[in-house]
Amino acid sequence: MSNDLLAAGLTSWLIAAGLALTGRATFFTRIILGIGGGVLLVLVVTTLPEGSASVHTPLGIGVSGSDFRLSPDALWLLGFGLPGAIFATWLGTPARHQATWSFGVAMSLIGALGVFGLQDAVSFLVAWEIMSLGGAVMILGEDLAPEKGRSVLFMLGLLEAGSVALILAFLLLSQQTGSLSFSDFAAAAGAMPKAEQLFVGLLLLIGFGAKLGLLPFYEWFPGAYGAGSGATGALLSGAVLNAAFFGFSRGLTEWLPINHALPVSIPGIFIVAIGVLSAILSALYAFQQEDWRELLSLSSAENASIAVCLLGATMMFRQDGLTDLAGLAWTVALLHLAGHALAKGAMFLAADGVYRVVGDYMLVQRGILARNSWIFGLGALFAAMSLAAMPPLAGFVSEWYLFQVFFQGFHLSSLASRMTAALAGAGLALTVAIAFAIFIKLFGIGLLGRAERRVPQIAITTSVAVGVLGSLVLALAAGMPIWLTHLAPVSATFDSDAPSKMADGWLLVPLTAKFAFISPSKLVIVMPILALLPITLLLLSIRRRPRVVPVWYGGRDQNPQRAATTALTFSNALRTFYSFIYRPIIETERESPQDSNGKPYFTRRLVFTHDVAPIFGPYLFAPLEKLVISLAARLRIIQSGHLNFYLSLIGALLVIILLLVLL
Amino acid sequence: MPLWTLFGLRKGKATTVWPKRGQENGQEGVRGMPRIEPQRCEDGCTQCAAVCPTEAIRVHADQTGAARLEVDYGRCIVCQLCVEACPTDAVTASSDWAFGTCNRSDLVLSGDFHIVPKVTEPESRHGFHRSLHIRHVDAGSCNGCESELQALNNPFYNLHRLGIFFTPSPRFADLLLVTGPVTYAMREPLQRAYEAMPEPRWVMAVGTCAVSGGVAGGGYACGNGLEGVLPVDLYLPGCPPNPAALIEALLMFLERAPQRVKGGRLVE
Amino acid sequence: MIGFELQSIEPDNVPVAIGQLIKNGGRMQMVYGWQPDDGHLELRYVASRGVNEDFLVLRCVPRGPLPSVAGISPLLGWHEREISDLFGLKFTGLPEPYRLVLHDGASPVMPPLDRAYPFDTPMPFEPTEGGMPVVDSADVQRLPFGPVRADVVESVELIFFYIGEHILHLHPQLFFKHRGMEKRFEGRSLAHGVILAERVSGVDSFAHGLCFCQAVECAAHCIVPPRALMLRSLLAELERLYNHLHYLGHLSHTTTLKVGEAEGKLLEERAKQINGRLTGSRFLRGLLIPGGLRCDLAPELWLSQALEDLRKDVAVYTAMLETTNSHLDRLITTGVLNRQVAYDQGATGPIDRASGLDWDLRRDHPYAAYGELPLTVPVRTSGDAHARAQIRIAEIDASIALIQRILLLLAAGPVRVDCSPTPHSEGLGWVESPRGSLFYGIHFDSGSTLSRVKIKSPSFSNWRVFPLTVHDSNMMDYAINEASFGLTVAGCDR
Repeated sequence: MSNDLLAAGLTSWLIAAGLALTGRATFFTRIILGIGGGVLLVLVVTTLPEGSASVHTPLGIGVSGSDFRLSPDALWLLGFGLPGAIFATWLGTPARHQATWSFGVAMSLIGALGVFGLQDAVSFLVAWEIMSLGGAVMILGEDLAPEKGRSVLFMLGLLEAGSVALILAFLLLSQQTGSLSFSDFAAAAGAMPKAEQLFVGLLLLIGFGAKLGLLPFYEWFPGAYGAGSGATGALLSGAVLNAAFFGFSRGLTEWLPINHALPVSIPGIFIVAIGVLSAILSALYAFQQEDWRELLSLSSAENASIAVCLLGATMMFRQDGLTDLAGLAWTVALLHLAGHALAKGAMFLAADGVYRVVGDYMLVQRGILARNSWIFGLGALFAAMSLAAMPPLAGFVSEWYLFQVFFQGFHLSSLASRMTAALAGAGLALTVAIAFAIFIKLFGIGLLGRAERRVPQIAITTSVAVGVLGSLVLALAAGMPIWLTHLAPVSATFDSDAPSKMADGWLLVPLTAKFAFISPSKLVIVMPILALLPITLLLLSIRRRPRVVPVWYGGRDQNPQRAATTALTFSNALRTFYSFIYRPIIETERESPQDSNGKPYFTRRLVFTHDVAPIFGPYLFAPLEKLVISLAARLRIIQSGHLNFYLSLIGALLVIILLLVLL
Repeated sequence: MPLWTLFGLRKGKATTVWPKRGQENGQEGVRGMPRIEPQRCEDGCTQCAAVCPTEAIRVHADQTGAARLEVDYGRCIVCQLCVEACPTDAVTASSDWAFGTCNRSDLVLSGDFHIVPKVTEPESRHGFHRSLHIRHVDAGSCNGCESELQALNNPFYNLHRLGIFFTPSPRFADLLLVTGPVTYAMREPLQRAYEAMPEPRWVMAVGTCAVSGGVAGGGYACGNGLEGVLPVDLYLPGCPPNPAALIEALLMFLERAPQRVKGGRLVE
Repeated sequence: MIGFELQSIEPDNVPVAIGQLIKNGGRMQMVYGWQPDDGHLELRYVASRGVNEDFLVLRCVPRGPLPSVAGISPLLGWHEREISDLFGLKFTGLPEPYRLVLHDGASPVMPPLDRAYPFDTPMPFEPTEGGMPVVDSADVQRLPFGPVRADVVESVELIFFYIGEHILHLHPQLFFKHRGMEKRFEGRSLAHGVILAERVSGVDSFAHGLCFCQAVECAAHCIVPPRALMLRSLLAELERLYNHLHYLGHLSHTTTLKVGEAEGKLLEERAKQINGRLTGSRFLRGLLIPGGLRCDLAPELWLSQALEDLRKDVAVYTAMLETTNSHLDRLITTGVLNRQVAYDQGATGPIDRASGLDWDLRRDHPYAAYGELPLTVPVRTSGDAHARAQIRIAEIDASIALIQRILLLLAAGPVRVDCSPTPHSEGLGWVESPRGSLFYGIHFDSGSTLSRVKIKSPSFSNWRVFPLTVHDSNMMDYAINEASFGLTVAGCDR
């Protein structure tokens, strides 16, 4: 049954890809994509918690094909990436060229499915590349921004650097056993010397980190996302991000062995450190963005970094033999990305909705919320609240668990691990605070305010999409005790059933109720009841109509939109405070009229530039770019244009191959 | 690094106990409205009316044809020119600066200055006796009234001990205190400040400019004070009224002190 | 000494003449318009040439639009805009050709200071949304503050062009308090003129009254008795004293030094009570008349001791202020005013002395009894808020010392002489008020009543300079910077 559903989903996506290539009937293409997604969603719902059975596919190099199996955590992550993807394909891209975009969507989704399920190295890499290229095709196909080429090239460059690292890692791992299958990699790593294990871990970090947005790779996010649409962003931050995280987490936990000789898990500490630093940096840069997509993209990088932190914590706990805590950390990472995928999808689709009525993606107070249906408003509110980690939503649950995991770091035996846990807790506290500010900025400036000119209403389809996704976030949080029971087999790799210990009746506890507890399920009931009190007072007071007067500005009527807080105004204070990170660029130029004799007193025009400088761009990527270009310039000699030279090169190559075969 | 707290504590209490008891109101030697006794006038003398810059003192012929002295303290700017001009002791200098009243007509000693009588009584100040919040609006004053209003919060007068506070927003103010003759540009902001106050609300005209226009009233840019602009509940002429006069007027308004000005005369 | 020299020039020669004047080290003070009886508008350009030299007054009768000299002497820009608003004279080439004194939406039937303007007729006024400056960026927040501001302060609308912490540009919308005081003088007697002058700016009452009297005495060639001159100087210094003490208290308020604010305001109250006890008026009103003082005062009995007690407390207070790091931290490098900018834009008083311009009317163009008194004029060069505060602290000490000296030198004698100006005479008066240089230009008509009174208050000049120190600064420093300038709005708006 599950295999049939799988086949049906995959087939529909392939059909959709084919249809998209013809360039016609784009509406049907999207419908078929949506159907495929729906089918796979049903698969997920029915096959959790056991995981799907293994299917042997004829794909792959060599005589034998490759296995395809969706483990429980893969199903969980895929399942939560799909609603965003389904709604994104249903709404489509606001750009004019739907066909290329739909093809890119199909590529990304198929690639993501492959990444989730394929169990051998080569087919995994093929799926990985298809997923990356799918993202590029989506952005290029939309043609929304004039300078999209450069940012997409930058994205692909970094992703390919990651792919090279992955290839190298798989080569190293498969060298030991001679097999390309993932199940053999676990044994392979155990046979490797210590340093090589760490090197493989580092390669996996680079490879998957390029997609997840760990430092320094988060710098392609704003450019690439900013060249696409919200629907593209919803896909890239939902299913695709989850797939990358799945690959990374499986690689680290199943392939890298626990080194019982050392008291501390070096990869664990390193990954926690990288995760925390990435989270802080991407959160800080996300806060300074003024475009819906760029802000949300860096926020995705931040959330992925938080999940990576939890992965590092898993490794640290596992090293110490604290299997329950390891399972807890592992499960929390899954919960975090689940809530994130839904909420981010909702916000990206809301961005698209705004774009369709206003024409740009800039964060400007235009009074959109006041003019649109309450379904849209509630959905967007729940999504923003979840991403800002406010109770009673899913983001709050996962952030709370995140801190519980690090608070329990005192169980760790070595000082280094405990220090890491403490510092990570502090760094994550900073991140969470900035994340809160980010979503206040997004929701407040993007959706609130009063507009001078009335903006048209957002289409009902977008409102429904955002509303449903937002309420799914709430349902995720409120029903968490129920979903956790379905996740029990997830942490079986750690010999623990942490998920079942995470819920105690309707309370959510970090393995034991004595430490701490929260209860979003109860909050969801209690909060509306508490709200009855002010609502009743309001209804009672309506009998006496209050006298309504204009907003008090100081005696004069002011244009509310002109006097409203802007995106830059909101973030400039933090920019000044963290100027050692941002290194802000401030330029003000005053132009004087002709008849002031060159004296700068009578300003006719004031032109200002205020911007932040990225960290890795000028110091890492620009020098690398220069290096590559200079190398390429040097290698130009090969392109001499002489036919004889090319023939001699071919001849030399043949000789080398002959020699290699003979030796 | 000096220790300011210690410095303040060593200075002790600088606040006067007045008006609770005693006469230490800080106004030693300060002159107030001139006292006018028309019965001591020389016959046919119109010196005081001739020198008055604001026509607070007028000489009018009444029905019988006799010249009558008409005095409206609501227009007096305390310049003392009439005191210097008077050949007899009909007009004498005094320290009657506490001239706050609730009715405009109480500022008139004699004569018909076409004062429109109040139609409705202002709302009772019950509940505000020990807690009043004031929003001040400067509608074109010369800054003298503001200087005396700012002095109310210095350690000597310390208005807070009486339960009276200045607020930054009209939204939670009870009393709108206006200074200045209401220039053309401040008319609209003043109206908006009044509208923005929730009821119950009252209006106080501080300074002769706000009561009747003062020396600046009229012309191309100014009105003649608050009459006709806002309904006024408390008048305090003076140029400017000193902080002790302000305190007395506010306490009188809050029914914590009796009104001492009746019919243009300050009674003890 | 008459004090000023009148020259007539052709309208076309005005820019050249002014350029020449500036090259020779002179500085423009003001330009104003006047309509004598026969109806043609005249302009008067007033300039200072050097220490102890007469002021130069250039008289010109424009025959149409006049070329603007704001490019040559930027401080005249505001004066030209005022003439344009109130007299209707057009200037060509004005760098800022916008209304200044009358708000957009005011539509008088004819220019208000025109002789033919109907008496006591208010202008029709429709409040319009302020247009200037135009903002074309979604990042900039136009943050208006006022005109009714959040404290017991004067009405002015401050429009910040704000991007969060950083102020790109400040546009103060002044002249909400414009009462048209200059017009109220027309046709009044001298006694009433003094009364009006005292009420142009309440906290500079004595300075304004003194300036008016000196301008009338200048026109009438009247010699004021020495005791009156000495008493005038004493009273002017008393006014400087309470103003500077209020300034220190207000400055401490903005740097949130609570006890410092309380002590400053208490010292100001003591100074005002001294005023009240000495003269009967806390603001020193009702004392002046052209020709001397209205009545004699008796300061010799008790004033010296009262001031000595005050001086001791002030010395302790200012010593503490100057060693409080939290207070000084917020003043040093805040609102720096460059020397050249201060000079070009007409900054005056403690503000230009804080930027290195050594100029004080009491010493350089002596009036009242200042010619015979030893004067210390403090000067600083850093031009920041701290320098402006230090100047005033030094001036407090200097004022008290001056008053003590006057009390020693005070001799008995009359305090008033007759003063009657001849018809069609004109006079120029100048006073170093606590806020800077104050000028009155007075013209009499055929009946020896006031025909035109032009008031150039120091706050008018300094309000022009103030925004230049706020552009590109940050919001946290704004209140401190504004307090460090110590300006009045009533003096500027009149």
